[in-house]
Amino acid sequence: MSYTQRETPILVELCTFLVEDMYGELASRVFSVLARFGRQRRAEISKASYLNSNQISLGLVILTQQHLVFHSPSTEPVVFYDIDWQQSYALVRHAKIAHFVEERFDKKTANVVSNLLTLGHSSVADLREAYFASYKGEEGAVNGTKVNGSVNGVNGNGDTSKTNGTHREQDEETLGSPDELYAIIQTLMEHGWVIQVAEAQYLSAEDMHNVARQQALNDRWGGAVPTGIKDKDMLAHLIRENKRRMRDAWLEVPQFSSRKRKADDFDYGSNKRTKLNGGGQYGSTGGSESSAEDDLVIRVNPEKAAVAMRNEYLVSLVEQRISYSTARLYEIMLRSLEKNIPRCFEEYPDPPPLNVEDQPQHEPNLEHVVNAKDVAQRAKILNIDICNGLDPNAIARIVKNTTVGKDGVLSPAVDPSSLNFHERLELVEAHFKLLEDHPFRFVVWQARGQYRVDFDVMAKTLIQQEIENTVLARKSNIGMKLIRALKKKGKLDERQLCNTMMASPNDIRTIVNDLTVQGFVQTQEVPKVDRREAKLSLHLIWYDVQRAREKLLHDTYKGQVRILQRIAFERKKIQELLSKANRTDVAGNETKYLKQSELDDLKKWKEVQEKLLLQLSREDDLVAVLRDYCGPLLTA
Amino acid sequence: MRADLLYDECAKRPEGTTFFQRDLTSMQVANDVEELVKMVSDLSKRHLLQPLQFDGETCWKLRPRDIADKLLKLVPDERLLYQYIDNAQTEGVWSKALRAKTNLAQPTVTKYLKSLEAKDLIQAVMSVKTPNRKMYLLKHLKPSEDVAGGPWQNEGDFDTALIDIATQVIGKKVQEETCIKVAGNWNNYTSADRQAAIAHKKVQVKGVPDIEELLPVQPYHPPMEPAQPKLVHRTNPFYPTTASLAEYLNSIQLLRGKTVRESDMEQLLEMMVLDGTLEKVTATTYRTVLQPPKQVYNGFVDAPCGNCPVFDLCSDEGPITARTCVYFAEWLETTSEEAN
Repeated sequence: MSYTQRETPILVELCTFLVEDMYGELASRVFSVLARFGRQRRAEISKASYLNSNQISLGLVILTQQHLVFHSPSTEPVVFYDIDWQQSYALVRHAKIAHFVEERFDKKTANVVSNLLTLGHSSVADLREAYFASYKGEEGAVNGTKVNGSVNGVNGNGDTSKTNGTHREQDEETLGSPDELYAIIQTLMEHGWVIQVAEAQYLSAEDMHNVARQQALNDRWGGAVPTGIKDKDMLAHLIRENKRRMRDAWLEVPQFSSRKRKADDFDYGSNKRTKLNGGGQYGSTGGSESSAEDDLVIRVNPEKAAVAMRNEYLVSLVEQRISYSTARLYEIMLRSLEKNIPRCFEEYPDPPPLNVEDQPQHEPNLEHVVNAKDVAQRAKILNIDICNGLDPNAIARIVKNTTVGKDGVLSPAVDPSSLNFHERLELVEAHFKLLEDHPFRFVVWQARGQYRVDFDVMAKTLIQQEIENTVLARKSNIGMKLIRALKKKGKLDERQLCNTMMASPNDIRTIVNDLTVQGFVQTQEVPKVDRREAKLSLHLIWYDVQRAREKLLHDTYKGQVRILQRIAFERKKIQELLSKANRTDVAGNETKYLKQSELDDLKKWKEVQEKLLLQLSREDDLVAVLRDYCGPLLTA
Repeated sequence: MRADLLYDECAKRPEGTTFFQRDLTSMQVANDVEELVKMVSDLSKRHLLQPLQFDGETCWKLRPRDIADKLLKLVPDERLLYQYIDNAQTEGVWSKALRAKTNLAQPTVTKYLKSLEAKDLIQAVMSVKTPNRKMYLLKHLKPSEDVAGGPWQNEGDFDTALIDIATQVIGKKVQEETCIKVAGNWNNYTSADRQAAIAHKKVQVKGVPDIEELLPVQPYHPPMEPAQPKLVHRTNPFYPTTASLAEYLNSIQLLRGKTVRESDMEQLLEMMVLDGTLEKVTATTYRTVLQPPKQVYNGFVDAPCGNCPVFDLCSDEGPITARTCVYFAEWLETTSEEAN
């Protein structure tokens, strides 16, 4: 069977759907050709598709602008294209990113970010142009600078419902002046939400490796390939270092010339507008009045969303497992760390030294340390009820003049806003103690009054927790128990498993079978004699986190595809009505032109769509836990 | 008969005592050694005394009269089997091992084992270690832990009902020691002016144009259910240990006639950790897991696909697709395409 006839890998299908939804059919046609056939040249794309050269160019431009494809370095004679899977999947997160930014900063900032997301990347000058070229409304202006007109999917998509929703409150999000825009961009860059665009971002993993390798060879060995074992290790090390350096350079925040900008402000009026009107191509400005950073090309940091998602997830976990107030304090703690964390895990880590003595004992990352004092201070500002969720006896010990009656009722009651600094600090530390005592080790005690978050250690626990959660929902308690037992004990035969779980073999067998079929658990037969006889073999049951993780991730992708397919199906069902409702004369006057039954159908469709999209985004949360918080787990 | 006098005298001693010749002489039932030997051999013939060897010296143990009576009626092969089973004591002996020791044919062994069982002299139990082996031991003996398993097992199988009850009792005990139940109004400071203060703050926040400094303002979280007491972990409790919990379970005599050793307790507690009712604090201490008020799963299993029985059969085309899915239809309250 040829490759094209095989079942499409699920991620290909999912990403093609997302691209079609966002950027229309043309882009998705080109995308799917690339997705199915892998890295290839333009000529091959045109061979594999029924598109003409013009159409392919157009499609590639969209995909390139949105960073959905890699292309080989411009120094190469022939350009190869390949898909950036991370970025393609990240389309599903656009609404989430805007939402996160709005939560952390404000609506104006969120608006800038969502425009950047729509544009893919943009120079600062273009962005300014888009916002201030005309006062009709920033969204329309930004759309004008788009590379082509086929960008129609976004609004119909609903995926960006959050960003669309923010448009209604124009006052809160209209930028007052270019200065404000610059300030917003600077803040976003400082917090790592927005990064510079560099050519290396268009390099696929392989190209990037080659570039880094060549650079290392040139720097150290004058272009020749070293031969010794030590030198080879050195080379590998240098390659990794180069990759890291390349990547970290994107995060650098250029010095914003705020003073100069202020001076420019005065002649920001008409001449600027006439001069640059219609200038949509990025980087084409460079007029004498423009500020130094106008040439800067920026985009949204694709890795930052995962950092924010991880924090949200951890906070919600604490809220479920410990208490509401503890979760709020934890949120403060994580938010304060967020600025220093550009990504969830190091993609190019140095391998640990081979001999055991040299291996560091999990070196704590000092950037992930928070002072309890700061958290207490912030909790006061946010007016958090820091007594909630604590043992009343502990509160009575900390707060003066309060005693605990029976039932744990405090008398007199303690109003958290009336506490003095010292008491508040101790209460906050009591919450941190809860976090520390939890088996997940949400925080680790670092030094007096200082707590650390070990994200890397927790990431593994989180994956395990989600796998257990899935099994729990499907198979009730006993399935989860089985997974945990195997996780703890390793490979077991049936009798040992029964002993660990204290259950009879009959209860366990069906569960083992079900879980094996679902791919969470594996079985293994080890013959004791040279004949393979069932009676004389050991039958082992085992569980590998990495395998289960991949399986669940795959299933989740599939679930997402099904949701998108269902949305398409539901939309198709009422296609006629929708096109009627979208007519320019009907839109806005639905009640006037549509029948009651049609209005009901429309409302139902909206509900259905919302429900499905919400679920899609929740499945994305699961994808993030499984995929984005730590690298492959080599040891179970 | 004078021999019975000797038997009665011996029966006055604590059960299970072994008698050496000097013990029997000192009872002064027999006038001389010769008579004693006669009496002993008489009793042995009637199976009332069981001859044993200890350090090369002969000694005897008493047998109850009823058993001795039954033994008298046995055929020699039966008696041989009985002897081997008796030797194995509480460990029990496997029927195949018996055959090997006695050199009897398999049908004979089976037949006599059955007849012994019918006469209430021996019992068969399932071994825990090797579930398909029947182990034989004397009727009045309790099988050893190796054979019958710990207190949690019954006839070679886990006693689920017993385990459930023990789990509940222990769970409750651990909860008492590590958690504290807090009434809904435990810290009843929320007065009217607080609400007002919040409202006031909101106005303030909205009124101030530069809201960046105050953000993110968290909405005030009302207590979940005011009358609902909830559990919180105690601060610095004395965490219960395996030993203390074993002692507790023995003291309330939940398991009639059985005592729980530390290792048994550890097995139960570890199982409870797997179960999600307890969590481990240190190597031997445990505490209760606070159950979330509402179990939240993940986005995948909450959607129909996560629990779909035909998920693996579902594809883009064919009888099962997203378009024809009955579960989606039920969940969204819409209709699906009819599969053809």
